[in-house]
Amino acid sequence: MKKFKKITRVTIISLITLTGLAFMPAPKKITVKGSDTMVILAQRWAEVYMKSHPESVIQVTGGGSGVGISALINGATDICNASRPMKQSEMDKLKDRYASLGVEVPCAKDGITIFLNESNPVKELSLKQLSGIFSGKILNWKEVGGTDAEIRLYGRENSSGTYVFFKENVVKTDYAASCQTLPGTAAVVNAVSKDKSGIGYGGAAYASGVKHCAVKKDDKSSAYLATTETVRSGQYPISRYLYMYLRNRPTGEIKAYIDWILGQEGQKLVTEIGYFPVK
Amino acid sequence: MFNAVKSNAQVMQDTLKDQVVTLRDRIAGIEERVATAESDLSKLTRIKLSGYIQAQFQRFENPSVYPNNTFSLRRVRIKFQYEPVNGVVFVLQPDFSPGSITLKDAYARMNEPWLKTFSLWAGQFNRPDYEVEYSSSSREVPERSAVIRALYPGERAIGAKLEIAPPATTLKVQLAVFNGNDGMTINSKVYDASTQKWNNLNINPTNKDFDNYKDVMARITYGFKLGNWGGLNIGVNGYYGFLKSNSTDLLNSDYTYNKTLKIGDALKRNWIGAEAQVYIDLWGGLTLKGEYIFGKNDYPGYVSDPYNVFSNSSAFNSESDTLTLTNLKTTTTQQSPGIIRNFMGYYIYFIKNIGKRNQFAVRWDYYDPNTKLSADQIGVTGWDAKVPDVINNERQYAGTDPVICTNNQTRTIVNNSLKSGIPDIAYGTITLAWSYFFDGNIKFMLAYEIPINEKVTQNDKGVGNVTSKYTINGEPGVLDYSTVFPQNILTLRMQVKF
Repeated sequence: MKKFKKITRVTIISLITLTGLAFMPAPKKITVKGSDTMVILAQRWAEVYMKSHPESVIQVTGGGSGVGISALINGATDICNASRPMKQSEMDKLKDRYASLGVEVPCAKDGITIFLNESNPVKELSLKQLSGIFSGKILNWKEVGGTDAEIRLYGRENSSGTYVFFKENVVKTDYAASCQTLPGTAAVVNAVSKDKSGIGYGGAAYASGVKHCAVKKDDKSSAYLATTETVRSGQYPISRYLYMYLRNRPTGEIKAYIDWILGQEGQKLVTEIGYFPVK
Repeated sequence: MFNAVKSNAQVMQDTLKDQVVTLRDRIAGIEERVATAESDLSKLTRIKLSGYIQAQFQRFENPSVYPNNTFSLRRVRIKFQYEPVNGVVFVLQPDFSPGSITLKDAYARMNEPWLKTFSLWAGQFNRPDYEVEYSSSSREVPERSAVIRALYPGERAIGAKLEIAPPATTLKVQLAVFNGNDGMTINSKVYDASTQKWNNLNINPTNKDFDNYKDVMARITYGFKLGNWGGLNIGVNGYYGFLKSNSTDLLNSDYTYNKTLKIGDALKRNWIGAEAQVYIDLWGGLTLKGEYIFGKNDYPGYVSDPYNVFSNSSAFNSESDTLTLTNLKTTTTQQSPGIIRNFMGYYIYFIKNIGKRNQFAVRWDYYDPNTKLSADQIGVTGWDAKVPDVINNERQYAGTDPVICTNNQTRTIVNNSLKSGIPDIAYGTITLAWSYFFDGNIKFMLAYEIPINEKVTQNDKGVGNVTSKYTINGEPGVLDYSTVFPQNILTLRMQVKF
């Protein structure tokens, strides 16, 4: 009986402690998680901001847009970086859990770049050709004006926003089973730079050591490379916004950070990293 | 010497070439194996597994509930989802209750790939209603509202559904056709000779389709954004269905006679509802949501199988020198007329998030299963068409000293009545709940439900016109519906979701 009383006492104390922990003020650390495409940009923002605001601690991790949105829903991150808009199903989860539709902050623009090996003679591809290539219908470079060589595909993992955006807007069907999935656009660039028959896609910020391929909407259109002008004007056909998502309207430290990102200094870094500013 | 070195170099070069070729072949082999493994793995990514367990402790204040405190597993569910090709999804969700496994979701969904607007569902899935479709793993209180539990027992139904949800809009239209009687208990009566009582008998225990009639359900919802402050979802829903009559008489909601019908005739079940959910990004999140439903629901009545009782007796009449041997066959049939009840019900939630981890919810839900009867009529009003006992005599005489009279009597008793009572009593329930989200997977909930029954009037003996008897551990007790008797429930629940 004594033992039982002791167990009851311990249980009650544990419950009270757990409830108390729930009300403990959270430390002033801002966590940012999500898009791998945005991870370099987000890290740069954090570094520069922390230099000018030494009292702030900003922790940035990648994992993909889907992972970031899940973390936002689960309360595991304060800010989610996403290279695609939030899906209705994700918004519903946020709504059910936090009574909020989330706050969407477009913070940069990106042109998804098509990477080719520097030795590849192909200079431009249409959206239809890209769809054929990444869905596995076009298997040889000679079918799109290149040499007689098998096309090797490099892409992102399915948790990546770039994967989803490229699939929904360019491939428009399933990716070919032969498409090698890699953890990050940097890995895609690295793989294509070493493979003469390789083709990959990713954010412009990572495009060094490979050749950019110009893209045209259809056979009649002109082909454009992803530049500040073509992405801003919408001429480059595979461009998108990069977003930051929050559970609730930002206040305090988070609001100050977001305002800084959308301000002159933050947007200057967007250009420096190789993306396109929204302001 | 030079030739020897040259020859050696040639040999080394050849060996190196062979080694390179061998290595290249090996790499090609590994690449092939990796490609096969990747292809197999990519198939696995098309399988999604999720589920949740709800373990709870409950304390019941209702004196007729025994045991009045218990640990239980409310839900043990695993959801398997497989998408073999883009847009085609198979879903299977069993529920593992202790001692039984029941099938909850089992459906195929096909999303149209061109406009990405239409999807077709077939199988067993949730009926299109806000509170039904809102998973109990997300719900802020322990149970769904009384009106929803009454109209959609078991939540799921077997049928087909067309969903129209144009991308980039918040419009959603759902049109569904179901068997209609899913989850319903269709009762008749059966005589138990050992206890000499008529007991309830579920005549459709496997819950298969009960009749040829199909039910149609529709729901339209639309969402608005309220700037940066939140959002508003509004919707309407309607149900148009039939249930076959299981009786030959039909009553109106106030227990007056409506008409005679045949077993198998269609009884209408129609209702409409309106819903709204407001999400406000105020001090960490605030939600108000509610739904109002009204219409007509039916009870199909029953006609039981007849039960025969045989008895023998004899009597001697010295005056007429006659010995009468009587063989009595009593045939009893229990009947209940069907009834179409006008009902209404609603629920309102107020939910406030407190920080990232805590949530407080209060809900008021009300269900009046018969709006045509006031509290003082319940237990008083009823319909009784008991057929007077009819005894048929078939006498046969034989012999002269004494005269033997064999009388084969047949007696027919038909009890055909329906009195208002517990199914007509309205209930309002206040639910208070506090949830603590330990992390994204684990949630604790402490809830207190306070059901308040409609009070019926009392008879001249000072007892309610509606009572319910119970026996616990040999001790009899009575629930008197002329009072609001304690029915509160305390729930402490832990939920693990993955």
